[in-house]
Amino acid sequence: MKFLCVPCDTPMKLQTVAPPERGSLSIVYACPECGYEMAMLTNAYETQVVQSLGVRIGPDAADKAVGPGCPFAEMMPTVESGDTRSNQTVDPIPVRWTAAAEARLANIPSFVRPMARTGIERFARERGAEEVDEQILDAAREFFGM
Amino acid sequence: MKSYHDIVGDGGSRILEQVAEQRTRVTDGLAGVRHLVAVGSGKGGVGKSTLTFHLASALAARGLRIAILDADFNGPSQARMAGVQRALFVPGSHKVALPRTRNGIGVFSMGSLIPESEALDFESTTRGESQTWRATREFALLGEILGSFEWGELDLLMFDLPPGAERTVQYAEFLGPRASFLLVTIPSEVSRGVVARSVAALSKSPNRMLGYIENMSGYYCRDCDAIKPLFASSGGADLEIPCFGAVPFDPELASHCDRGIPLPALSETPVGRALDQVAQRLLDTLDTESPR
Repeated sequence: MKFLCVPCDTPMKLQTVAPPERGSLSIVYACPECGYEMAMLTNAYETQVVQSLGVRIGPDAADKAVGPGCPFAEMMPTVESGDTRSNQTVDPIPVRWTAAAEARLANIPSFVRPMARTGIERFARERGAEEVDEQILDAAREFFGM
Repeated sequence: MKSYHDIVGDGGSRILEQVAEQRTRVTDGLAGVRHLVAVGSGKGGVGKSTLTFHLASALAARGLRIAILDADFNGPSQARMAGVQRALFVPGSHKVALPRTRNGIGVFSMGSLIPESEALDFESTTRGESQTWRATREFALLGEILGSFEWGELDLLMFDLPPGAERTVQYAEFLGPRASFLLVTIPSEVSRGVVARSVAALSKSPNRMLGYIENMSGYYCRDCDAIKPLFASSGGADLEIPCFGAVPFDPELASHCDRGIPLPALSETPVGRALDQVAQRLLDTLDTESPR
C-alpha cells in the first residue's frame, strides 16, 4: 500500500507507527513537500494480515526484521519457566549468561528462544556451571551430536 | 497523478522488502541441500510421517546426509518417532543447531517445542477468526524455520506434509520448483481418489512428481510369516505417476514409531525390505532424472 499527496503528486512517507491497540495500528504518513499528515488506522483483520506475513511495520522495521513475534506467546508463562511438561519442576539455581552467549541466543528465532534458554541452562547446571558461555554452547552441540 | 507503479518503495513500511528478505533467507539456508522431497498425499492417516521417517532412516543407513522437516505443525509426529521430543535447541553463531537422531538424521518438529497436551497457537488480533489468516501465518513460520536452522550440507531434506490436496499445492508453491513430491496412498478407492486430486492439482505446478507409495498394502502376519489382505478393494483411480513400491502394514512398525526406534531393527522383515526397496527407488530416481 502506498499513499500519494494529491496536491503535490508526491509519495507520502511513513512517520510513526503506534503499537497495536485493541487490534488496530495507527500509522502516520506525511508529505515531504507540503508537510500534510494523515493517519492510516487499521482494523483487526488488516493488522492480522500483516502480522501473519511475519513482518513488522515502521521506520525501524529494517532493524527489527528478524522474524515475527513469538507465535507461542500464550504458552510463554509455562515455557519460560522451563516447565513445559507438568512433571517437571523449576530449578531455583540461577544461571548467568555471558554477553557473547546472549548474543548467540538473540540470533535465533523468538519461538525457540525460551526453550533454548531453558535447555541450555539445565545442561549447564548438570555440569556444575553457574554461567552459560560460548564454551557451554559448543559443549552442548557436541554432546548432542549437532 | 502518479500511479502505484510510478512510485518507488512503499513510503517506509517495507512490507514487500521484508517478505523478499524472508525468501532470500530461505534460499540461502537451503543452498547446501541437494534434493528437497516433500512427502504428501492429500489424504490423512495413510502413513506419510511413518514412511518419511523410515525412508530417511533407510537412506541415512546408505550414508546419505538427511534431515526431516515436520511441516505438519498442527499434528506433528516426527519428534516422537525420531526420539527428539525433548530435543535441546542450541544457538549456533547465527542459526539454531538442528536436533539429531541417534543415527544422525536432523529433525525439526513442532513436537519438540510443544507438548502433546498442547495445541499450536498464535498471537492474534482477530481472536475467533483464524480462518482468515492462519494458513498465511503457518507459511511465514515455515519460512522462519527454513531460514533459522542450520540445514548445512545435505543430500536430502524431506518434508513431512500435512493432509489436504490444497495444502499439498500450497507447499509446492511455497517451496518452489526445486521441491519434488512423493505421494502416499493406501489400497482403498477413497484414498486413491483423494490422492488423484493431489496429482491433478500438482500437475499444474512446475514441481516434479516422483511417484507414489502404496502403504498398508496388506498386513504382515508374524504368526503365518505371510502378507494378508488388509483392504477389501485395491482398485481406484489411476494415479498416472510411477509406483515406487508397496509397503505392508506391520503392527511392529507402529510400535517402533511410538518408541522412536529406526528402521535397522526391522530390516529383516517384509516391511523393512519393502521400505528399503522404496528408498533405493527414490535414490535412483533423484540421481537419474532431472526436474521437468
